[in-house]
Amino acid sequence: MRIKDIIIFLKQPKIFVFAIIWMMLLVVLGTLAQKDMGLYAVQNRYFSAWITWFWFVPMPGGRLTLIVILINLSFFFFNKSIWKIKKLGIVILHLGAILLLVGGGLTAMFSSEGNMVIEEGAQSNYVEDYHFMELAIINTSANSFDEFTIFDQLLLERNKVLSHSNLNFEIEILNYLENCEPTQRTSPAGVQHKGMLKNFILNELISEKEDNWNRPGIIYKISNSGTNADGMYGLFLGQSVSQTISINDKDFTIILRRKRTHLPFSIELLDFKKILHPGTDIPKSYSSDINLIENGAVRKILIKMNEPLRHKGYTFFQSSFIEGPTSETTVLAVVKNYGRLFPYISSIIMCIGLLFHLSQKLPDLFRASKEKIAA
Amino acid sequence: MKFYSLILLIIISLSGILLPRDFDHRDIPIHENGRIKPLDTFVRNQLLVIYGKRSIKPKALPEELNSKELSAIDWFFDITLNPEEGDKYKIFNISNPEVVASLGLYWDPGHLYNRKEILSGLKNQIDYITTIQGKPEAELTQFDTHMLKVYSNVIQYQALSYSLSCLLPLIQINDENIAQSLSINPGDKLSYYQLMRKANKLSTLMERLLNRDQDEWSESDYKLQHIMGVLNEIDQDKFARILKIIPPENGKQNEEWLSPWELMASRIIGPNQEKLLITLESFLKSRIDNDIVQSKSLLAKYENLLAHPFNGLFILTNLKLETWTNKVNLFYKSIAFYILAFLLLVISWMTKPKLLRQISFAFLLGGLAFHFFGVLLRIIIMQRPPVSTLYESIIFVSLIGVICALLLEYTRKDGMGIFMGAIIGGVLHFVGLGYANDGDTLGMLVAVLNSNFWLATHVTTITIGYGTSLFAGVLGHVYLFQTIRTPLDKKYLKTVNANVFGATLFALFFTLFGTILGGIWADQSWGRFWGWDPKENGALLIVMWQIMMLHLRITGFVKPVGFALGMILNNIVVILAWFGVNLLNVGLHSYGFATGIAINISLFIAFELITGLGTYFWAKNRQKQLTAY
Repeated sequence: MRIKDIIIFLKQPKIFVFAIIWMMLLVVLGTLAQKDMGLYAVQNRYFSAWITWFWFVPMPGGRLTLIVILINLSFFFFNKSIWKIKKLGIVILHLGAILLLVGGGLTAMFSSEGNMVIEEGAQSNYVEDYHFMELAIINTSANSFDEFTIFDQLLLERNKVLSHSNLNFEIEILNYLENCEPTQRTSPAGVQHKGMLKNFILNELISEKEDNWNRPGIIYKISNSGTNADGMYGLFLGQSVSQTISINDKDFTIILRRKRTHLPFSIELLDFKKILHPGTDIPKSYSSDINLIENGAVRKILIKMNEPLRHKGYTFFQSSFIEGPTSETTVLAVVKNYGRLFPYISSIIMCIGLLFHLSQKLPDLFRASKEKIAA
Repeated sequence: MKFYSLILLIIISLSGILLPRDFDHRDIPIHENGRIKPLDTFVRNQLLVIYGKRSIKPKALPEELNSKELSAIDWFFDITLNPEEGDKYKIFNISNPEVVASLGLYWDPGHLYNRKEILSGLKNQIDYITTIQGKPEAELTQFDTHMLKVYSNVIQYQALSYSLSCLLPLIQINDENIAQSLSINPGDKLSYYQLMRKANKLSTLMERLLNRDQDEWSESDYKLQHIMGVLNEIDQDKFARILKIIPPENGKQNEEWLSPWELMASRIIGPNQEKLLITLESFLKSRIDNDIVQSKSLLAKYENLLAHPFNGLFILTNLKLETWTNKVNLFYKSIAFYILAFLLLVISWMTKPKLLRQISFAFLLGGLAFHFFGVLLRIIIMQRPPVSTLYESIIFVSLIGVICALLLEYTRKDGMGIFMGAIIGGVLHFVGLGYANDGDTLGMLVAVLNSNFWLATHVTTITIGYGTSLFAGVLGHVYLFQTIRTPLDKKYLKTVNANVFGATLFALFFTLFGTILGGIWADQSWGRFWGWDPKENGALLIVMWQIMMLHLRITGFVKPVGFALGMILNNIVVILAWFGVNLLNVGLHSYGFATGIAINISLFIAFELITGLGTYFWAKNRQKQLTAY
């Protein structure tokens, strides 16, 4: 009895109507907000948020609203009245809609994306995240190999102390700056300041509109090394001279960089081509001639706008490029998405459902008018 | 009977295109903004930039010409064949009185000025112009932008006027000795290019001249010096490089076309290019001599020369087709037919309803025929699907709206479809004409849009979605209006309500799949199905609004009157998604950033809100009154 009540409550179309109105409002706000806010920030605030705060009032965010719609939609199938041949189109249509939402959920939760930046003649086997950073500590003492110790951005919070069995010292995070700028010191450095901080300070800046325009920086303290390497250090993204320290015959290089995901294969850029419509600055096409290198086997592939490379669940898109004085650098967007096929399947299902419904319904809706003329 | 004769009339008027036509001077291919187009289109657009119209009206023409109108191509050949006489056209249209005053000109209602007036006015402003040229666009005042526009227009005019001067027979050679050594008859006129081709003969003469003292010079030597002076003077025109009509020697796709003056300067002219230049030169001479037979045969020769090796670059029949389209202006014809259909329908409400309604229906069909044919020709000329720019989307949406209206009329046969079709077709056409005046409506596309498959599927579907949605919205207006007019005719209103509902379902089909296809394109091109980009969100809003209205109606939350209002408000959502998101200036769909449309959008929204809400409450009131009795 109580389960039945719950079902009756959950399948109410009223829920859907309120949810979709709320969703429309979120979409409008999220679209207008893009004038001042970056897309990533807008998504986090409105669309992929569970809760959206309006001043101090918590309201459902896009993700929660869509889940409400999904639940409401699932309970639609408990309506006995829809299981008729006349309503078949409607049932199929709603089934397709469920698939679309489920696919969206999978994508939102499990997909990952990033950039692969390769200069002509060079190769790469890792993807850089758009938003997350990592702190890499590389032990370069051995001749034949380097030992990497990586700390994720989630650990790079103020006052966190990082340690690892690979390291004969500890790192204490003093500050993590979302966006910063190194500026020349005007006052003399203290004895505690080491490395880059001897000559520079990191000025915190307000965050840029787009998250990936920021230059994050970090201030940290090395302690318990038992040597004079102990002290205060600084790093920022894209620092040209990386921080090296040596502690008890071990040499370390410390880098703040975009979070890397390594692939089981590598890509070599042979040639990047940009073709303009002749006599104009309007680009006609961009393309990258690449070698896909996997287990020693080399395969030549051309990645073009609208024609990506798909391999092992990863998809590589021609996304951007950097023109250098001597050679060009391609920027490939790399995406791994488990929910990829859902929109394709669900759109076919919905299309069938809606066509079926239209073919049944439209003649009625327009025949009515003919009868009137006859009358 | 009337109906068939009208169809016949349309076929006759369109049949011009079916007859093969000789290549003429309008069809000469030229390369501009990444596209190969007929000279006719090029000069029309040039004239549009300078003058604001695509042909010259009598007011701007010299009085002695006494003609009604001058086409862009005739104007072009006049100013290029007689570059020094270009002052006779008053075609500089300056709409800003401040600019007119600072150029020392008199402001009159026509505000049209000739080249001489502009040039002498600009002389005093040249310092100011150099300072504002360096400024970023955001810092310029309205006066500055107008001033810069006048400046660039006059430069463009000069560049056009002198673009062919190297091919014109401007150098008369009277001296017998010189004529003999150049192997021509004395008194012949040569062009700069001809003399260049005889450069080796000329240089022997020149050597002799330089090796002798001036007091030993013969008459021939003085003549030669004069010729060199003229040559030098013509050489000053080499800035005029706007007319890129000579294809790359090897006939390759991605190489630049060159203007005659660029070829003169480069001194590397391939044999195929040389043949074209010489033919062009002779053609220009035949035009100066008014030798029609000769100029015809030279054009035929030019056409033959274009065939190889340049045939991979363009399709000559399409160039001819484009010239023809420029001339007949199909969309002006369709707009006229729509207006006529509307007027006849209005008259039919007063007298002879059935006959006039049928004629009016035939006119709407006629308008549609022109409209459809115009869209079809654009597809053929550009070899891409119908919608790729904002302008094309407007023309296409109006086509879809008219087709929907015709289908409605076909089922109802009471004039409602004609009424809606004429309004949708007419109004959107007018909006489209405004966009057409921005310049060449057949532009090239940036890389990501340059995909015929996705343009054909996603863009076409979503645009059909806009059209059907607007149609449903207009039907909503009709429903509310009829409820006010005949609230008692329940049966009639029920049929209209069914139509609104049906049109909404129909619209949802296209908006929904257009949006999903857009997602699939994004997934194929950028690796994400959905990115919350403004344009995507706009499309999503239309879909959500329509789904909401359908559910509200099915569950009985709103009555037919409310549903009609909902679909009227849907029009606002459509317009915002279609034009409004371009105002945000963010996102990947940067194909139609327009300025100045904000006011029009606001006016439209205000109109829909006032009429929609006004008729809604009025209709509700009427219903209430009647139930009270």
